[in-house]
Amino acid sequence: MIELRDVTKTFPGTDSPAVHRLNLTINKGEIVVLVGPSGCGKTTTLRMINRLVEPTSGSIVVGGTDINDLAGHELRRGIGYVIQQIGLFPHRTVRQNIATVPSLLGWDDTRISERIDELVDIVDIDTELLDRYPSELSGGQRQRIGVARALAADPTVLLMDEPFGAVDPIVRARLQEGLLTLQQRLQKTIVLVTHDIDEAILLGDRVAILNVGGHLEQYDTPAEILRSPANDFVADFLGSDRGIKRLSLIPISDIPLDVGPVVSFDASRAEVDRVMAEFGIDWIAIGSSGRLDGWVLASEIPASGKVSDATLRPFETRLDISDDLKQALDAVVSSHTSVAAVFDGEHYLGMLTMETISREIIQ
Amino acid sequence: MIEFLGEVADWFGDPVNWQGIDGIPNRLWEHFQMTMFSMVIAAVIAILPAIVLAHKKIGGVFVVAVVNIGRAVPSFAIVAIALPISIRLGLGLGFWPTLLALVFLAVPPMFSNTYAGVSGVDAALVEAGRGMGLTEYQTMFRIEVPVAMPVIVAGARIATVQVIATATLGALVAWGGLGRYIIDGFATQNAPEVFAGGILVALMAIGAETLFSLYERTTYSARLRRRSVGTADEGIVVVESVPH
Amino acid sequence: MTVFAQSASGIFQWSWVQRNLDAIWDRTLEHVYLTAVAIGVGFVISLGLSLVALRWRRAYQPITLVTGLLYTIPSLALFAFLVPVTGLSVLTAEIGLVSYTLLILIRNMVTGINEIPSDVIESADGMGYTRSRRFWEIEVPLAMPVIITGIRIATVTVIGLVTVTSLIGLGGLGFFILRGLQTFSSPIGTTQIIVGTALSVFLAVAADLSLSGIQRLLTPWASRKEAK
Repeated sequence: MIELRDVTKTFPGTDSPAVHRLNLTINKGEIVVLVGPSGCGKTTTLRMINRLVEPTSGSIVVGGTDINDLAGHELRRGIGYVIQQIGLFPHRTVRQNIATVPSLLGWDDTRISERIDELVDIVDIDTELLDRYPSELSGGQRQRIGVARALAADPTVLLMDEPFGAVDPIVRARLQEGLLTLQQRLQKTIVLVTHDIDEAILLGDRVAILNVGGHLEQYDTPAEILRSPANDFVADFLGSDRGIKRLSLIPISDIPLDVGPVVSFDASRAEVDRVMAEFGIDWIAIGSSGRLDGWVLASEIPASGKVSDATLRPFETRLDISDDLKQALDAVVSSHTSVAAVFDGEHYLGMLTMETISREIIQ
Repeated sequence: MIEFLGEVADWFGDPVNWQGIDGIPNRLWEHFQMTMFSMVIAAVIAILPAIVLAHKKIGGVFVVAVVNIGRAVPSFAIVAIALPISIRLGLGLGFWPTLLALVFLAVPPMFSNTYAGVSGVDAALVEAGRGMGLTEYQTMFRIEVPVAMPVIVAGARIATVQVIATATLGALVAWGGLGRYIIDGFATQNAPEVFAGGILVALMAIGAETLFSLYERTTYSARLRRRSVGTADEGIVVVESVPH
Repeated sequence: MTVFAQSASGIFQWSWVQRNLDAIWDRTLEHVYLTAVAIGVGFVISLGLSLVALRWRRAYQPITLVTGLLYTIPSLALFAFLVPVTGLSVLTAEIGLVSYTLLILIRNMVTGINEIPSDVIESADGMGYTRSRRFWEIEVPLAMPVIITGIRIATVTVIGLVTVTSLIGLGGLGFFILRGLQTFSSPIGTTQIIVGTALSVFLAVAADLSLSGIQRLLTPWASRKEAK
């Protein structure tokens, strides 16, 4: 869908190129994240795609057309563009802002109006905001309007330059989630620039790790990059918690679950001891098929041997089958029992231990 | 045209125009003196109250009003009004009404610029000063005034140029100064004298503006000076300059 | 009314005003006319020079230098230069008055455009605005508050300077001020000074308020604050 061939950019007055002979192919419908340290040319590369920056050499092809075959402004009317500060036009209402590119393209009012109704639904905008001015909006609202504005003319390609950088972490998480949901619905080809490796891993179908001078160090799926970084630079950039980052990509539903050391309320002391010995633990879980009621400490089981006489403790952290292994690890590490109990709603499915979790990334 | 400029040159060449009360040196001196007097008096009136008010963060609306009034009342009118007032005060014509008018003219820009300059000092600096145990007086004069200096000096520059300009109208209230040449020249239809007077006044005004600007440029860093040049807007107006 | 007038007749003679309403009206019109022409012509020239300065950055300094020089030269001196050349005429007055508007108008126009946040410009480019459409649809509207402020200042300034043109035979309301000055010892003199001054101030305030109102009408977005 988008091909960068030997793209180089040297800014006038500088010696070394900002981007050096970059070759990159972005497929239709995928989110590709360009990530790297300051000076790696990621923003410059992005801005070459819509010719806000002209490449010094090399070519860029979007949807089969060389971008130089079109006038700059025509090209940009067909590509959505979102920047960190958004740049909403202060003198126009939200509605007028969103309608910017359709107006430039000459759409008639009815069509624009219908499109805005669609976008309100797709991007989840409060209709009350449509007739306000940007100065009356909060940061998060402005971001969402910026995305709506970029999507207004239904471009196939969307370019985003640190779009979520200017908001606080809570809003950012919501916006990131929103983007993924949007993508499920729209299947746009998105190129996103960020300096945040966690955001890249979260959002990218593929991630391109760039080094200073626009050198492409590795270009692969996040899981693959985390599993085997191409070199020391990439490994460093990923951070020292690479293993744990990988866990966040693996959903619990992918791995088989053990029922674990569960006995019923009326279990005999002998049975309890047997199970505890088998698992090598000092506690026992109480439940039946599909149900988990809690756990008790071996030391609190009275001499009578009746498990039901001991204090029943609840499993504090309950994981859902839709959670990922990183969340499971957190539960494992923060409980006395050192397990993560997984449920599907109220239905108990099984337990995860440190061993079962790390087994997934050691291979 | 060339012929006319020749006549002007002749006027400057004529030694008569360099002697006596109506000679260039005397008129220049009168003009200069008047400017100095009015500026000093205006400074005494305007600067200290402006510093104190700005420091205490009160009187903002008052300052805006002063500036707007100062701008709305024509300087010509101020000179005209000063005359009957001066008469009634028993001070007569000539020097006193001119001085009165010029002081009145110079106060608003000096007041508002000083106020704006002191108000514009970074609150963090003042806070730091207070934190170190400076008294109010010390905060004002060791922190706020020095930092506000570029703006205050700009105000003085503006006021000075305006005073030099309006002093030319002093000739209408029987005072001397360089305006004499222009006014008398009009009256006697002596075009070269009028033109020559214009040149002298223009040179003095431009000279003052240049001297001040040079001083500001060399004494204050560009970043400090940038604060003193601003497009006027709704709030406190840093008076850029006022024509005359 | 008559009683008040009598007790104040030392300085203000209402009867003079009543007798001269026609003249006062004529002079007011003259004042407005001179101002309007000066601002109009000044605006057009400034617009042209501003476009030049925005297109060729290096032109800005020399333009500011020249207009600044014109601004610094006292009005009386400027008229002193012009009268021998263009006589005691409206042209002389207008050349002088227009010269004073240039610096302020140009500076506000250029600064107004330059101060637009760069992210707005960037997003406009990114959406596919051509340079000229961007200028007229995005940059000019956003620079309006600053530009109109410049017009306001220039207008009030010119209204004040028109009074000085009384010395070259015009003056608008300055005519009365000059007359008043020449007959200052009589109550008619002071009356004229008062009338001339008061009406000048009134015109200035009225102009400022009207332009301020126009500004608010043209820029509804500038007065809204964050609701959340």
